Amino acid sequence: MTTRRVLIFVPTIIVLILLQSYFWVPTYDQQTRGNPERLHEYIAASIGDASILNPTLSADSASSDINSKVFEGLIDRDEDLRFRGRLATSWKVHEEAYFYVDESVDIPGLGKAGAEEIVNLIKEAKKEGHASEPGLKASLDLIEKISIIPPREFTVIRRVKDPKNEKREAEVKIRIKAPQRIKFTLSRVDQDLFRNLSKLFGSNYFASFKGEKFLSTEPEVDKKNLAAYAGELVPATEHNPALVFHLRPNVRFHDGHVFDAGDVRFTFEAIMNPKNLSPRIADYEPVKAVEVIDPLTVRIIYKRLYSPAIGTWGMGILPEHLLNDQALKAEAVRLGKDPNAFSMRHSSFNRSPVGCGPFVFRAWKSDQYINLERFDDYWDGPPNYDSYMFRIIPDLLTQEMEFYAGTIDNYGVQPHQVKRLKTDPRFQSFSGTSFGYTYIGYNMRRKPFDDPRVRRALGMAIDVDKIIDYVLYGQGESMTGPFVKQTDYYNHKIRPLPYDPQGALKLLEEAGWRRNTEGWLEKEGQKLQFTLITNSGNDLRKAILAIAQDAWKQIGIDVRTDLLEWSVFLQERVDKADFDALILGWSMGIEPDLYQIWHSSQTHPHQLNFVGFKNREADDLIIKIRQEYDHDKQVRYCHRLHDIIAREQPYTFLYVGKWTAILDKRIVIKKVDDAGNVHYKKIKPTKTGNYSFYFNKWIKLREAPGFEPDG
Amino acid sequence: MLSFLGRSVIQKTVTLFFVSVVSFLIIHLAPGNPSQVDPMNPKFTPEMVERFQKEFHLDKPLYTQYLFFYRDLFTGKTVSWKDNQSVLKKIWERFLNSLPLFIVGTILTWTLSFPIGIRSAIFRGGVYDRSATFLAYLLISIPGFFFAYILIIFVVTHFHVPVIGMETFGLGASSWPHVVMDRVWHLLLPSVLGATGGIAVLSRYVRSQMLEVEGQDYVRTAKAKGLSPEQVHYKHALRNALLPFVTMFGLILPGLIGGSVIIESIFSWPGMGRMAYEAILARDYPLILTVNFVSAVLVLAGSILW
Repeated sequence: MTTRRVLIFVPTIIVLILLQSYFWVPTYDQQTRGNPERLHEYIAASIGDASILNPTLSADSASSDINSKVFEGLIDRDEDLRFRGRLATSWKVHEEAYFYVDESVDIPGLGKAGAEEIVNLIKEAKKEGHASEPGLKASLDLIEKISIIPPREFTVIRRVKDPKNEKREAEVKIRIKAPQRIKFTLSRVDQDLFRNLSKLFGSNYFASFKGEKFLSTEPEVDKKNLAAYAGELVPATEHNPALVFHLRPNVRFHDGHVFDAGDVRFTFEAIMNPKNLSPRIADYEPVKAVEVIDPLTVRIIYKRLYSPAIGTWGMGILPEHLLNDQALKAEAVRLGKDPNAFSMRHSSFNRSPVGCGPFVFRAWKSDQYINLERFDDYWDGPPNYDSYMFRIIPDLLTQEMEFYAGTIDNYGVQPHQVKRLKTDPRFQSFSGTSFGYTYIGYNMRRKPFDDPRVRRALGMAIDVDKIIDYVLYGQGESMTGPFVKQTDYYNHKIRPLPYDPQGALKLLEEAGWRRNTEGWLEKEGQKLQFTLITNSGNDLRKAILAIAQDAWKQIGIDVRTDLLEWSVFLQERVDKADFDALILGWSMGIEPDLYQIWHSSQTHPHQLNFVGFKNREADDLIIKIRQEYDHDKQVRYCHRLHDIIAREQPYTFLYVGKWTAILDKRIVIKKVDDAGNVHYKKIKPTKTGNYSFYFNKWIKLREAPGFEPDG
Repeated sequence: MLSFLGRSVIQKTVTLFFVSVVSFLIIHLAPGNPSQVDPMNPKFTPEMVERFQKEFHLDKPLYTQYLFFYRDLFTGKTVSWKDNQSVLKKIWERFLNSLPLFIVGTILTWTLSFPIGIRSAIFRGGVYDRSATFLAYLLISIPGFFFAYILIIFVVTHFHVPVIGMETFGLGASSWPHVVMDRVWHLLLPSVLGATGGIAVLSRYVRSQMLEVEGQDYVRTAKAKGLSPEQVHYKHALRNALLPFVTMFGLILPGLIGGSVIIESIFSWPGMGRMAYEAILARDYPLILTVNFVSAVLVLAGSILW
């Protein structure tokens, strides 16, 4: 009977047609089925879309992923985290240091002296050798040239707020009659130069210098302001470190234009231009001047000692010819916009960037993908892949499924999946510790947290290993201090706090806290009671909140907890330092500069040292680390600082997370030797766990190769 | 007949007018702002927000906004706030994407449901009927998104094939049979998924309708005449049981435009349902209202004959 047959056969045939298409579709094992180009393409996935493809303006991770492929900086870090040249072939750091001659002060063995006599004194001392003073000798040996700058007069105009009328600005004219000045050229940066020289000149020589004497202002200002102007305009001593970069010749931007020192200076100016609102402006604030010496040499002079500055030149270099004032004006006119209001932020460059990195920008479909193509003229040899696809897939499960199907090449494994996927023979896996840590911070302005014994006891009562095992599925490591664990700066000699509730009780007893009849800890009739807070929306922190509350309750501490919405948490509690204890995390850079988080000057509202950590020795070390250009000395200072922080326990350092990523097994490193033979090598991560360090040498093969054993 | 049609059209037009007013009000009175004029959005400066409000008449009273919107809609000038593209063009593109899903899903549902339901009715209370009933209620009660995820995970982990989206990503340079077959493959899961739900429901209706008819005198007569069971059930009984299904078929028309929001979202299928859903999240008023209006027209058109 036909009706019945039709009703059964039609759907069966449709389903069969649908099913047979399976044999046409590329599978994970046969990704080239119907699409041989697949081997020459790398597909990455991201949760969020990029926002702005301009390295000086971007602040999100998706944008910087793309920017790092399209743009190239002067330097970057190699496998061992040392700097290596990219657009710069080499660089040198030296220093120019200045001090004002103070003719009113007695110099031991010389009396009151003018510039000439002081220069002679230093020259003599240099000859003499001063073997008894190793510090002084070292400083003197660094001096390459001494010169005298004659006295000079100049005028500076400052705009200040009118004290009578807040809204109006008043002008202050400052006339300066600066005395003679002595300039040193040093072969290396030496932050101890003046400290050592004062052994020669008398300990008071630099400290007693009064800059105010050489200023006159119009109208008159009060003493405090005058001293501030003097400190800025006539400082007793001044360090001006200078960085000289020698640039790589014949490097081209993707549009064929040749890269030169002008582009470096332009990139700097673009960041500093207030119209562009660059988020990197703070990194470059210490720069005094960027000088183009010749097209392949650029010199950067700094206002003061600031060692993290070298790392900032990893910033991708912008092409001046596409973004200078003329180009922007022309673009504004073309778009019919006001040329005066049009800044780099508005330029279409940010959606179709041009750099001199290994990949050329091709296309960007919002919320779908960004496509890059290899740059055949790349100075370091073009990448092996023809094209780089950056897919935007907001859903993690979808990402995972796409990875299994072979339409994404890597997948960031979530903690609970690590055990299963790490051992899967189809994939190669990489893990490493991340650059950030989670901690419990105590408000040291409040009792009982002003006592280091209490803070230590609180830390000892929490079983961090259990947190790592059960909350993080084992994907974390304990840590003891504020530096990145993979760097030299981290002091591995410091042991983590033991989990020891009894020891914690003993420490608390020393601090005067005893258990009362109900089992709560008490001191002078006061129960040990406080509130632990964190932000809502982070499940890990929420779990830790409950664990810490329970652990502390067991030793008799009455802890309340509170989850606050992120903006309330930040604005009302953290910024105003209105909390007892909180759970939070920091993500860190490689640079060991801890000024913002740990220096005692940063404890005011809206600053980052919100726990109120103040320690004179730590302050001193933080400044020294900032000013030190010598790696080994820096490491020494950092180890000491780490030690102090671990002893003081302003935070209970909980853990640093571990990440795991899996990659198609057929992706390998391809190298061609001079004779033209092709070698395939397994991908190996660097010291910091960065597995994509050699990305440009990667290629996907049809089948996973067997590797020669490592020799 | 003509006068019936005329009366019906007038009635529907009045209904449509009220639908348009109510839907306009609901959408505008719902909390939240279009993301372009949301003061909380850090991407937009107050000047930009103001300019935007002016450009899209958001500073005018609601009834003027209503008039502006429908004037634009009928002259085909409505643009989406998100990307300034013509709304009708966008809807047409997405409609074409949803169409294959809809057609395959509908054919499967409206063919398979009948033999399944009829067999259940004939062997009422038997093992087949019981298991079919059980399966149908199981499929009806499992939430669609859950079933979809299970299916995706199963297919991907066992066959290692891409199933998400309308085509395999980056299949640009392939030969056309591969491209076509790839599209067909991607059609399989979402359309079958849509159809299973449909079959589960529809086969229940078929069963109960058939049960009603099977007890009638003329069916008994047909059997007594010695007709083959096929002829009795599929000709005499089915024809009389079909009437309510004609109505139901008219009602699936709006499904054309609503698409299947859940399935399209899970499979990242760039279809109508997903577009409407995302438009609601972004408070893209012109797009929401147009989709709403078009589906109202379709509902009324589907029911114009009764």
